[in-house]
Amino acid sequence: MNRVRRWFTCCAAVVLAVGMVWTDGAAAADDTVAFYANITAVEPIMEAFTAATGIKGEYTRISTAKFLSTVFTEFEAGKLMADVIQAPLPVLEMLKDKGVISDYVSPEAAAYPDWANKNGIQLFGIEYVGLIYNTELVNPEDVPKRYQDLADPKWKDKIVMANPASHATTIGWLIGLKEHVFASEAEWRDFLKGLAANNPMLVASFGPTPAPIESGEKQIGISMPKYIVTKAPAPLDWARVENQPLMGTPRAMGISSKAPHPEAAKKFMDYWLSKDAMSLLATKVGEYVLTPGVFPPIDGMDQAQVIPIRELSDDEIATWGEEFKKIFALR
Amino acid sequence: MSGKHTNLTYLLIALVGFLTVCPVVMLGFGSLSEGLTATGTFTLAKYASAYSDPALLEVIWNTVIFVVGAAITATTLALFLAYLNIRTDIPCKFIFGIISIIPMMIPHILFSVSWALLLNPSNGILNLVLKELFFLDSAPFNIYSLPGMIMVEGLLDLPIAYLIIAPAMAAFDASLEESSRVCGASTAKTIFRITLPVLRPAILAAFILCVIRGLASFAVPSVIGMPGRIYVLATHLYQMVSTGFAADYGKAAAVGMSVLLTSIVLIYLYRHLTSAGERFVTIAGRGYKPTIIKLYRSKIPLFIILGILSFILIVLPVVVLVYTSLVPYSMVPSARAFSMMSLKHWVDVLNDPISLLSLKNSLFLGVFGATIGIVLSIFVAYVIVKVRTRAAGVLESLSFLSFSFPGIVIGVGFMWFFVRTPLYATIWALLIGYIATYLPYGIRPLSSAFVQIHNHLEESSLVSGASYLTTLRRIVIPLLIPGIVSGWVLMATMFVRELSLSVVLSRPGTEVLAVQILRFSEDGLWGRLSALGIMMIGISTLLVITVTMIGNLFRPADT
Amino acid sequence: MEIQITGLRKHYASEGRIIKALDDVDLTIPANLIFTLLGPSGCGKTTLLRAIVGLENPDAGEIRIGDTIVYSSRQGINLPTEKRGLGMVFQTYAIWPHMNVFDNVAYPLQNRKVPKEEIRHRVAETLAFVQLEGYEKRPATRLSGGQQQRVALARALVAQPKVILFDEPLSNLDAKLREETRKELKSFLNDLQITAVYVTHDRVEALALSDTIAVMRAGSIIEIGSPKKIYFDAESEFVADFIGRANLVKAVVRQQTTDATIVDSDIGRLACRKGDFPIDAAVTLCLRPEFISLAKGEHEGTNVVNGTIVSLVFVGDAFEGEFRVGEQLLLARIEPETSLAAGDEVGFQVRPEHCLLVAK
Repeated sequence: MNRVRRWFTCCAAVVLAVGMVWTDGAAAADDTVAFYANITAVEPIMEAFTAATGIKGEYTRISTAKFLSTVFTEFEAGKLMADVIQAPLPVLEMLKDKGVISDYVSPEAAAYPDWANKNGIQLFGIEYVGLIYNTELVNPEDVPKRYQDLADPKWKDKIVMANPASHATTIGWLIGLKEHVFASEAEWRDFLKGLAANNPMLVASFGPTPAPIESGEKQIGISMPKYIVTKAPAPLDWARVENQPLMGTPRAMGISSKAPHPEAAKKFMDYWLSKDAMSLLATKVGEYVLTPGVFPPIDGMDQAQVIPIRELSDDEIATWGEEFKKIFALR
Repeated sequence: MSGKHTNLTYLLIALVGFLTVCPVVMLGFGSLSEGLTATGTFTLAKYASAYSDPALLEVIWNTVIFVVGAAITATTLALFLAYLNIRTDIPCKFIFGIISIIPMMIPHILFSVSWALLLNPSNGILNLVLKELFFLDSAPFNIYSLPGMIMVEGLLDLPIAYLIIAPAMAAFDASLEESSRVCGASTAKTIFRITLPVLRPAILAAFILCVIRGLASFAVPSVIGMPGRIYVLATHLYQMVSTGFAADYGKAAAVGMSVLLTSIVLIYLYRHLTSAGERFVTIAGRGYKPTIIKLYRSKIPLFIILGILSFILIVLPVVVLVYTSLVPYSMVPSARAFSMMSLKHWVDVLNDPISLLSLKNSLFLGVFGATIGIVLSIFVAYVIVKVRTRAAGVLESLSFLSFSFPGIVIGVGFMWFFVRTPLYATIWALLIGYIATYLPYGIRPLSSAFVQIHNHLEESSLVSGASYLTTLRRIVIPLLIPGIVSGWVLMATMFVRELSLSVVLSRPGTEVLAVQILRFSEDGLWGRLSALGIMMIGISTLLVITVTMIGNLFRPADT
Repeated sequence: MEIQITGLRKHYASEGRIIKALDDVDLTIPANLIFTLLGPSGCGKTTLLRAIVGLENPDAGEIRIGDTIVYSSRQGINLPTEKRGLGMVFQTYAIWPHMNVFDNVAYPLQNRKVPKEEIRHRVAETLAFVQLEGYEKRPATRLSGGQQQRVALARALVAQPKVILFDEPLSNLDAKLREETRKELKSFLNDLQITAVYVTHDRVEALALSDTIAVMRAGSIIEIGSPKKIYFDAESEFVADFIGRANLVKAVVRQQTTDATIVDSDIGRLACRKGDFPIDAAVTLCLRPEFISLAKGEHEGTNVVNGTIVSLVFVGDAFEGEFRVGEQLLLARIEPETSLAAGDEVGFQVRPEHCLLVAK
């Protein structure tokens, strides 16, 4: 049996050795910067950053649902590898509370609105939400002019949206409607009832919303205008709601208090907030950024009023989620 | 025999236990501790709130229907395909053999989306065609329903069932059937009274594996179930963790614990049901070949049925995938759609360094991981089948531990575990996590294969002066080749499309295919998603063909 | 090479009961002879064989092959099977289906690191010995039962082990082949200077093949001896009954003379082979059918038994006749050309040395 064990260990050792040779070890030198983010498709900026500074940017995408548990787990184990962290504002607030985020304020922040800087947490964009429709299937005169129009019975079985019982951004957006758009809560509740009566198709998040609109399975959806850029030439456009704002959760970032590469982290944050980087983000990815004068290449977006949604606590989100579950008769 | 293998048994229990128990224990801690990690102060609040949810009962009911339905669908289809493919003279066997394992290679999310494109009630392609053909007012099928979920999940689990049932079917002693025919039973009666009961261990194994996979499955419940507002455990857990920004996996793990318990009960039940039966089918030292049943008149009709089934169920979704990768955005097929086709998405993917890196990493993990996984599985299956002590039973249950945990939770368990080791954020964490989680994919086919090797074949090698390892190398492994090939295929294709662990453990430099695909899907980029998905299918197909050919090289020309 | 077994014990727990597969067996297997372990299924003979070869771990005791202790519970020795250097033929032959004849036979030599050229030579030699010249390239799956059996034998012999073990190697062959193979095996083994241990439940096989037979029952060896001794002079009723067909008749010892023991039995007073029994001891009289030659009519004289034929069954080379003596039914072997028929009054005289007395 000893021989079995020895052979077994030898086997494992050889196998590991072969593997080591095949995959080259991860680079851990000082000329890199690790960027944890929930924002997607930012590779062009990472490349531009490397080209501009010579520092290698490593982008780790972590979905919102796994963001806090991942960062906290690494942080508590003393293995947080992130230099710069980007996530929706509420997530960054919670990280800041636990001391994960430093107080660094970038000189570039001066160009941003005052409300975008929250001692160390820098807001740079808004994950804006709008009504996106299929230009081939919806007649121009039918395109909603106000959010209220979505409750019109003519949209029955033609709407797609993320699940209002669980998708945090959608929950926040609906509450944003209550606080910024509707005159009274009663009016808002009537709108929700009308929307629910239209039997929208509910999906897990924003990701699956554009496909049914493009393909004509549905005609309109509560989705993100950035898809008009990323999914061109799909027949998508956004409903220009008159005198009503577009709303979304602020995108925030900050430097890790235990950044392995603190200097590189500052350079990265400075670069990220620069007009160059933000222009890339707007034009390539269709993001709405807070840099004055930079807009995504979407017709009419420079005229739109885009506002951040008030921060909601998780308890509040959960409570409203339950409420929407009832209104939309889920389960 | 047993005394000799005690050391090996305990060594394997230690190894497999370490791999599978650690993440589950971490999840146990997580479910019992305050805060978002596994290290907070003790609390039972998570169990209290998770189990007091009034929706849970309906969710459990849906889940039972969903997983049992899918497992029955998968097992029945696999039996049908395996029987025709292996025991009859139906033409084009090779093609049907490949077809039945294709769903194994498709990222589940893509397969589900393809079906939504085919059978959604608004403008599903098949629904449109049927409406035209039969002058219907409304769409005949709605994929966003429990039956729809069951069908798609059943198809996705089909390869698991097929790869377990097919080898048992191939090793079937035809004289058992012949004697039934002699006793006056018809072919059909023989199938139901003799063939199926004798194959019971393999059928049960397939069924239970499918049930466990169904419990852990997320793609079908989220892509097809959610729009139909049908919630099963996986989507319930997803909602639980995704409502709000501070996702609480501890609470999800609290629910996961009962899934785990269910799975362990199922595994024990399975062991109990097959403890006597597994000795049925054995190859002794005397060669034989299963006889091929001639179908005569039913040959062509059966061939056509099989052909149509394969086409609709498996080929069509893949065709949809190819189509999606060529059109600029999601559109219903039309002359205009065909005129707009281009290779743009393919070019985009091939120019994307991360996609290429993920191809390389996944290929590495598939080939290398499956190979190590199979080596470990050979030892484990050997102990489970040939030693059969109580400790061997423990080993078998251990091997199922992380496998039976819901996918969206087990990844976090591994993260909580690996962050305590130097392996965190390396490709080795992925490799070890994959092997630990999907060990049953290697062990199941291998233990079926082991059951069929008579003890005397090994013992005579020992008497001939060969050590255990020589015996393993020269006698046991060559006889195991069919099982090794099945297990390797299951593991390698699984590793190539693995998502649950990868999405948590993958870091810059260790990107893998499924994570890249998820990223595309979160950005709604279905075209690139499909292109990368097809490349993934291509890689898996290549792996399957290569390993089947290597397997054939080792097989004696005569058998 | 001599095999010495001392106090060998192996117990199994099965469904809550303890099964004694080997119940402190002491046994010496003489060198260079054919030694058979005979017994009904479940008597422990296969367990004993497997313990010798090392496939079964005994609970206690010692096994010595030649001068080597291969197993000793007291000294903590347990030489693994592959180091014991034995040869074995399995009941299923265990021919590896993925190898051809050559590879099957060459395997033990390859494990002993014999040079290739010599392996080729010795395999050819061994195959010639078992009369399978030229079969080297034949796939194992294309062999008949008899050929597989020879390949298994060749494989067991090729490394010239000092001991070869057989586990019911003929039970899978048809009757005719079994008889031929048995003869061949005997001559093969006689040609070799080798200790052979042979396990079987077939008494004809045991009698025909062995130099020595050990009869086993319930984990113990109850009698050892030459085939003739076991057949004619068994010490127990079980052995007498198991080794051949026997009419067993209750009897009581009445008198001991110089050359015979006189008993009163259910079939009358008979002079029997001299046995060491006290007067009035209850014994069993064992009368083999082949020593009863029936003839028509009532017989007179000493050691005479008279009865009536109940039935005759033709078995080819003879009739098996059942006849009644008082309450007792006896079996006799009757010449195939007999004119006897059911209902006939018959009788026979039996020689005292054919009347075996065994203790009850």
